[in-house]
Amino acid sequence: MSTVAITFADELRSRSDEELANIFRLRPDLVTPVPNDFSALAARATSTPSLVRALDSLNLWQYQIIEAACALPEPFKKSELVAVTSEQTNFALDQLWQMGLLYKEGNNYRTPTNLKLLIGDEPAGLGPFSVKKIDLDTLKKVPQASQEVLEKLIWGPPRGQIANIKKPGNAIGWLLENNVLVALDSHTVALPREIAIKLRGGKIHKEIFSNPSKLSGKEIEQKQIDSAAVANISTILRWCEEFLHNLSDETPTALRTGGIGVRDLKRIAEHLGVDESCAGFIAELCYLGGLVVIDSDDQILPTSAFDLWLSKPAEERWYSLVILWLDTSRVSGLIGKLGDRSIAPLGPELDRAGASLIRRTALKVLSENRQVSPDFKSIQEIIKWWNPKRANSDFVEWFLREAEWLGITGQGGISTFGINLLSGAEDLGIEFALPKPVDHILIQADNSAVAPGPLLPELAAEMGTIADIESRGGATVYRFSESSIRRGLDHGKTGDQIKSFLIKTSKTPMPQPLEYLISDVAKRHGKLRVGSAHTYIRCEDEGLVQQILHDKKCEHLRFRKIAPQVLVTDFELLEVIGELREYGYLPAAENASGVLLSQPNLRRSKSRPKPPRIISEFSAPQDAVVIAAVKSIRTGERSRKVEPIIPGTSSNETLALINQYIAEGKTLMISYADNNGGVSNRIIDPISISLGTLTAKDEASDEIVQFRIPRINGVAPALTILENKADLDL
Amino acid sequence: MSDGPLIVQSDKTLLLDIDHLLSDECRRAIASFAELEKSPEHIHTYRLTPLGLWNARAAGHDAEEVIDTLIKYSRFAVPHALLVDIAETMSRYGRLRLEAHPVHGLILVSNDAAVLKEVTRGKKVAPMLGKQLDDETIVVHPGQRGFLKQALLKLGWPAEDFAGYVDGEHHEIALRQDGWQIRKYQELAAEGFWHGGSGVVVLPCGAGKTIVGAAAMAHAKATTLILVTNTVAARQWREELLQRTDLNEDDIGEYSGAKKEIRPVTIATYQVMTTKKGGVYAHLDLFDAIDWGLIIYDEVHLLPAPIFRFTADIQSRRRLGLTATLVREDGMEGEVFSLIGPKRFDVPWKEIEAQGYIAPADCVEVRITLTDAERLNYATAEQEDRYRFCSTSQSKKDVAVELARQHANDQVLVIGQYIDQLDQLSEALAVPVIKGDTPIKERERLYALFRSGELKCLVVSKVANFSIDLPEATIAIQVSGTFGSRQEEAQRLGRILRPKADGRGARFYSLVARDTIDQDFAQNRQRFLAEQGYAYRIIDADEVMKKN
Repeated sequence: MSTVAITFADELRSRSDEELANIFRLRPDLVTPVPNDFSALAARATSTPSLVRALDSLNLWQYQIIEAACALPEPFKKSELVAVTSEQTNFALDQLWQMGLLYKEGNNYRTPTNLKLLIGDEPAGLGPFSVKKIDLDTLKKVPQASQEVLEKLIWGPPRGQIANIKKPGNAIGWLLENNVLVALDSHTVALPREIAIKLRGGKIHKEIFSNPSKLSGKEIEQKQIDSAAVANISTILRWCEEFLHNLSDETPTALRTGGIGVRDLKRIAEHLGVDESCAGFIAELCYLGGLVVIDSDDQILPTSAFDLWLSKPAEERWYSLVILWLDTSRVSGLIGKLGDRSIAPLGPELDRAGASLIRRTALKVLSENRQVSPDFKSIQEIIKWWNPKRANSDFVEWFLREAEWLGITGQGGISTFGINLLSGAEDLGIEFALPKPVDHILIQADNSAVAPGPLLPELAAEMGTIADIESRGGATVYRFSESSIRRGLDHGKTGDQIKSFLIKTSKTPMPQPLEYLISDVAKRHGKLRVGSAHTYIRCEDEGLVQQILHDKKCEHLRFRKIAPQVLVTDFELLEVIGELREYGYLPAAENASGVLLSQPNLRRSKSRPKPPRIISEFSAPQDAVVIAAVKSIRTGERSRKVEPIIPGTSSNETLALINQYIAEGKTLMISYADNNGGVSNRIIDPISISLGTLTAKDEASDEIVQFRIPRINGVAPALTILENKADLDL
Repeated sequence: MSDGPLIVQSDKTLLLDIDHLLSDECRRAIASFAELEKSPEHIHTYRLTPLGLWNARAAGHDAEEVIDTLIKYSRFAVPHALLVDIAETMSRYGRLRLEAHPVHGLILVSNDAAVLKEVTRGKKVAPMLGKQLDDETIVVHPGQRGFLKQALLKLGWPAEDFAGYVDGEHHEIALRQDGWQIRKYQELAAEGFWHGGSGVVVLPCGAGKTIVGAAAMAHAKATTLILVTNTVAARQWREELLQRTDLNEDDIGEYSGAKKEIRPVTIATYQVMTTKKGGVYAHLDLFDAIDWGLIIYDEVHLLPAPIFRFTADIQSRRRLGLTATLVREDGMEGEVFSLIGPKRFDVPWKEIEAQGYIAPADCVEVRITLTDAERLNYATAEQEDRYRFCSTSQSKKDVAVELARQHANDQVLVIGQYIDQLDQLSEALAVPVIKGDTPIKERERLYALFRSGELKCLVVSKVANFSIDLPEATIAIQVSGTFGSRQEEAQRLGRILRPKADGRGARFYSLVARDTIDQDFAQNRQRFLAEQGYAYRIIDADEVMKKN
C-alpha cells in the first residue's frame, strides 16, 4: 500500500467540510460516483484521468506554479516556492491546494502521487537533480567556451548529445569535471536542476504570466455587430431548414462507417451555396439538435422533431441548437481531410476532449471585450493563457468561425444575443431583431413572385408546393412554371384554389399569363388516369359486359367497369376464368398481344429463384489456429487447476500487493474478469501500474497485456500455488 | 433594421423595390457595380457578378464604396460572408496589369509575385508569355493581348489594360445636329464608352444605337470600321451617317458581297468577313487595310465566332459593341466581355419608353387550338419535326390572315421562320414576301414602298430580324421563330418600337399553338421581354375569328 497516498488521504481527512466541498466544486469528477472513504477519494484524486482533468482546467499562471512545485525537492516550504516563482504565487497557492493539486505536510507542501509523472521528468525544461555534491561557487569560474555550452542548456531542453562521453572536448570536459554537467549515458549530458535554477537567477520560468494579455482588435459599434449577427442568425436558421428539406428530397445513404459521404456533402454544399466546411457544420448542428438521423436502413433523413422545430419561433429554434453547440464534444471543423483519411459529418470520429472548454473560454474572452472584433493572434494567445493544456489553434479558429455562422458574433464581435445567451437571459432579443414576417407576395408578369421578407410559415409552405424557389435570402423569389403548378395540383389543390390563394396573398394584381398557365395545367391535369388491376375482361358486346357486372354470382369478383367494353378486377386470371366458366360464361384467355391462348399457361412463380444456402463440410484449420488453440487450452488448464486457491483481495490490497510484487519482480497469478464478466486465472509478470491499468507479461500468450485494476478479483504469488499443486500436475 | 428599397439575397442577387421612395437613388448607386438582370413591373433584379464588380473597379469604384452602398440601402442586414466575398473579388482586379514598355513592348506587371507565379503556371497562359524580366514583370508576346486577357479572366485574375490604344489614322468626323438633337442617354452611352476605352452599349431596339455609334466616331475622329449583320443594314448605316454627321458620300465605303470599297469609314458585313476561299478567310486583310482608330460591332450579340478570333488580334484598337440584348443563346457573353470590352452602358427598356423615345407596345399572345386532325398529326410527328409542324399549321395561317385583315389600315409586318409558310401567307394576303433569296435591290425597293405607306403589309423571314429600320410599322404578327430564342423575340418587337408620328402604340402578336411545344418555346421567348416589363396579354384565337 502506497504510504504517500495514505498521507494525502490523511491530509484530506483533516480538511474542513467546506474545504472538502470546495475540492468537489473545483473537480466535479471526484464526486461522481461519491467515493466510499478518504483513501478512495485520495486514490481517485491522484488517478491519471482526474489529474489530467484538473490540470486542463488550470490557466497558464496556475500551471506554471504547479510546474515549479514539481521542480522542487519535496517537501518544500511556501517561501521556497514563492522564491522560485513570484510574490503573486501567494495568491494562487490556496486555490491549487483546494483543488488537491498540492497538499500540506505540517507547514510544508507536497505534490500528490502521479502529478509529477504527468508534468514530466523535466518540468519547465529542468534536468534531473544532481547526485553529487555541487559547489555553486564553481559557476563563477566557468571558462568562456563552457559558458556557451551552458547558455544552450539553461532554458531547456536540459540534455545535450555528444559524440563520446570519454572524449568530451575541452568545454564540456571542464563542466563534467566540475560536476556542472552530469553524464546520463555514453552520448548524453544533462544540466542538473540545482545549477539550472541558479543560472536562471533563482527562478524557474523566464517570465511568470500572472495575467492574460490584453485583447487587441478593431473597435466596432454594438449596433453594427448586432445587425451582422441578425443576418447570420436568419441565415443559419434558413440553412438548417434548407438542408433538412433537401435531405428529404434527395436522401443520401450513410457511409458504411457512418456519416455523410464526400460526394453528398459536396452536393449539399452546392445546394446551399456554401463551402463544404460550412455544409458539414450545418449537418452537425442539425444532428446535435436531433433534427436529422441515420435511419436503420442507412438513409439520412430529417426526423419528426424537425417539423416540431419548424413550428417554433426563430428565437427558440436558434436557442435549441446553439445551447447544444456550446457543450458538444464534437468538433465539426475536423470534417474533411485529415491526413489521408476523410472525416465525415455525422460520423463517429468527431469527438474531441476539451472542445466545449475552449468554446466557452473563447466566448468568455469575447464577452469580456465587447464591441471589439479581435485579431485572431491576440484572442488565440488569450485562450491559450486560459487553457494552456487544451488550446489548439485550429480549434480556436473553427470555433470563432462557427460562432460567426451562428450569429453569436457579428463581424467578429460578440452580439447582444450572444451575451444574453451566455448570461442565461430569458429573452435573447432575437425575435425582436429579426425582420418581421410578411403576409403577402408580389406577383410579376414574368411568372415570378417575390416575398419581400420572411414569409409566414403557412404561406411559405403553400407557396413551396405551387412555385419553385429561385432566390433566397431576406426575401424569397418564386417562379411559377408548368411543373410547379402541376406539383400543386398533385398535392390535391384545384386550379381555382391556387388562383384564389394567389389573388388573396398577392398585393399586386394577378398577371393574365399566370392565370392562363394555371388554368391550362389544371385543365390537362388528370385527363389521363392511371390505375392498377390484375385481370381485365373485354367484350365487344356491351350488353354482355353489363350482364356480368350485374350478375349476383360474380359479385365477389368485384368487377369495375372502366370503359363500356372493359371490366377489371384484382383477382388472378385463372381464378376469374374458372369462376366465369362455373357461372356459365365462356371466357377465353388472351396474351399480351391479344392472341387467344388455346390452353391456360403453366403457372410459374413471378419471384426470382432463391435457392437455400449450401452448408458444406468444415475445411481443415490452418496450423497457426491449431497451435493457438492448444496453447490456450494449456493455459486454461493451468489456471483452472489453481483457480480455487487465489484469495479475493480488496482493490487497495490488490494495488498494494501488485506494487510489492513489481518491486520484487515476482511472477503472479491473478483472477481476472473479462469483458463478458467471465472470470479466468492468468499467470503474469507484472511490469508497471498506471492509469488504473496493470501492464504485465501474460505467460500464456507471451505478450505484454494490460489489465484493468478494478477487474482483478484476487492476487497470489504464482510459485506457491504451482508448487502446492505440483502433485496433481502429472 | 432600416427600411431601404434593396433586399440583398445570399445568392448575390439584389432585389430593388421600385415602388419605394428611394428606389431611383438606389438604382443609380448600384448600377455601377451590379448588373440589371430583369426589370418587371414591381421588383427589379440585379446581380453581383465578378464581371460586374471588376467593371466597377475599372470605373474607379472600390470595395468599401460598394459595401457602403449595399448597407445603406439594404432593407435587411446584409450577410457578412457576402460582403467579405465582394471585397475579395474586387481585390483581384488590377493585381495584374498590361502595360506598354518602351523597350520590351507589351508587358504583364504585378506587385504580387505570387499571383504572377500562379497565372504563369496556367497551361493556357504560359505559351503567351515571353521572358520574365524581374519578379514583377513578364514580356507578353505581341498579338496575344486579347487572348491573354481572355485566359486571365477565366483564371479569375482579370488584367487591367493600361497598354492603351492606337489613335488610328485621323479623320475629321463631327455630328451635324441640324433639325435634330442627340438624346441625353445616347450622349451618356457614347461618353461611357469613350472613357472606358472599349466596351458594349446596350440600348433597346429603336432607341437609336446608330447615333451612339456616330457620337463615338465623333469622339474618336478617326478612320472607322463598322461591322454589321447584312447588306441592307449596311446601307441604312450609310444613310444614317450621311444624315447625322458631316461625312460625305466619298468618305463612306461598303464592303460586302456586292461591293469591295475601302474608305475612311468602311461598313462591312459579318458574312463577307467570314467568307472562306480555299479554306482561308479571304477578307481578313480588311482589318489591316487602314490604320483603323475605331471598330464598331453592330448587333454584337450575333457576332460570329471567327470574328472573335480576329478581334483578339486587334486589341490595341478601340472597339464599340452595340446591341439590344446582351443575351447570347450560345453563352459567349464572357468572350464579348474580354474581347470587345465590358458593358459600358445599359438602361431598362421601359425607362426609354417613359421618355417617349420608343413606342409603347402591347404584346399579345394569341392561343390557337389546333383541329383534332392537326393534333393527331402533331402527336405522331417525329420529335425534330414537331415544332415546325405545330408552328406552321393551317389554323395558325387562318388566324394570321384574319389579324392582318383586321389591321388593314395599319402598317403590318408578318414575321416567320419557315419559307413555305411565308410563301403561303404571302399568297393568302396577296402581299410580297422578303426572304433570304430576295435580291438586295428588290428588298430595298419593297422596304421603301413599305416606308412610304404604299405597301401596307409585308411578309418577312428572319432576314428582317435586325437592323431594318421601318419606322412606321406598328403591327407585327409573329407566326413562327427560331425555337425558344429570347433575343429574336426582342429583336422582332424592336422592329415596331420606333416612335410613331402620331404617337400611337405598337402591337406585337405572337401566334402560339395551344398544348404543343410551340407554347413552351413561346414562354421561353417571352422571358426577356417579360423581364423588361412587357406584360403579355393572352387572347384566344376564337376571339380573333369572332370579329370576322
